[in-house]
Amino acid sequence: MPDLDDELMERYQKGDENAFTLLVRRHQQPLVNFIARFINDRDSAEDLAQETFIRIFKAANRYKSEGARFKTWMYHIASNLCKNELRNRGRRDRYNVDNVVNSGSDRDGEEEQIDLIASAPADPAFEPEVALERKELRNAIQAAIAELPEQYRLPLVLRDLQGLSYDEISEVLELRSGTTKSRINRARIMLKEKLKPFI
Amino acid sequence: MNCLQAEGHFSAHFEDTLDYQTLQGFEGHLAECEACQHEYTRFQASVKATQQLPQIEPSPSFMATLQQRLEDQPRETGGVTENVVTGWGRLLDVFKRQRYAFRRPRWAFSGIIALLLAAAGTFFYHDGAFFTQKQRLTPVAPVSQSGQIAIPSDEELPGRLPRFSTDRSQFLRGSRLSSPRQPMQQRYMLKQVSYTSAASSGGL
Repeated sequence: MPDLDDELMERYQKGDENAFTLLVRRHQQPLVNFIARFINDRDSAEDLAQETFIRIFKAANRYKSEGARFKTWMYHIASNLCKNELRNRGRRDRYNVDNVVNSGSDRDGEEEQIDLIASAPADPAFEPEVALERKELRNAIQAAIAELPEQYRLPLVLRDLQGLSYDEISEVLELRSGTTKSRINRARIMLKEKLKPFI
Repeated sequence: MNCLQAEGHFSAHFEDTLDYQTLQGFEGHLAECEACQHEYTRFQASVKATQQLPQIEPSPSFMATLQQRLEDQPRETGGVTENVVTGWGRLLDVFKRQRYAFRRPRWAFSGIIALLLAAAGTFFYHDGAFFTQKQRLTPVAPVSQSGQIAIPSDEELPGRLPRFSTDRSQFLRGSRLSSPRQPMQQRYMLKQVSYTSAASSGGL
């Protein structure tokens, strides 16, 4: 049974423009999440995610479903773009990822941003201290991920945040299965050490 | 199993992918080692907390911005680049392609210009436009001091090539250094005489 992504790509190759739109809709959120977590910069994440889709769009006719799967191909392109981006800007620490989401109301062309903690509902079960602790932990995890060396950070994000299988990660990163497993284990141990004050 | 080996199996145990024998060894070690127990508990908590990080959503304008960017993008079709635009965009694309077609063989234009310059040069050369003021110098045959053409005899050149003299005074006699104001024809003649005399004396 063919993968839905492969089917959409085939349809798009035959001229169905809506198939590509559907592909973008299916993968835009995981892709933005992956890039934002990996490069630790939400603003650039959208730009890079769009760039990834543009690359896919341009090279769509070269895609063959018998080879790499669409998802691994997409993450491969995205991770290469991220690596280039990080190299270009010398890994400036721009930590603005967590707990800030778009409200959906786009007034005067500027996106309004709302802090999740500040706008939390005032129900009796809501405990600000717990929420604050949770927020601190999230920030600490994101900061710890950002501090990991690139070769460990990338497989960790793909595994623990994107939920890819070891085989898929090996395909994306062009690594042997054993290397992928040991890197993920090493990354998790490093992360555990960095989170010592919190966990 | 030691602590280092146990640590190497943290992820596999967490994801329940250890084989029976390794699982026995791992759990046996953890039952005995309190430090590893503690570390593994922290490891599990850390991984779970990471996996529970909230998903970052794209902005509502993501799709619209992407579509705008896609409109300007060419699409590859088996090595040939095709622009996926309609109407005026398609017409503009034709002009763009024409411009690129002219831009690509730049060397061809350079070649044509070089040929034109060469043709113009040849025309002026035959017309004598460049040589109206100066007389062209014609090569002169070697002449001896007596005014005869200096042709060395067979004895002077016994089956071998003549050699240059190492005598500096002889050498300088025919050079610019010794007689800078002599006309070129005379200087050339002197040079040939010294050359022939050097050859006749056997040189080196």
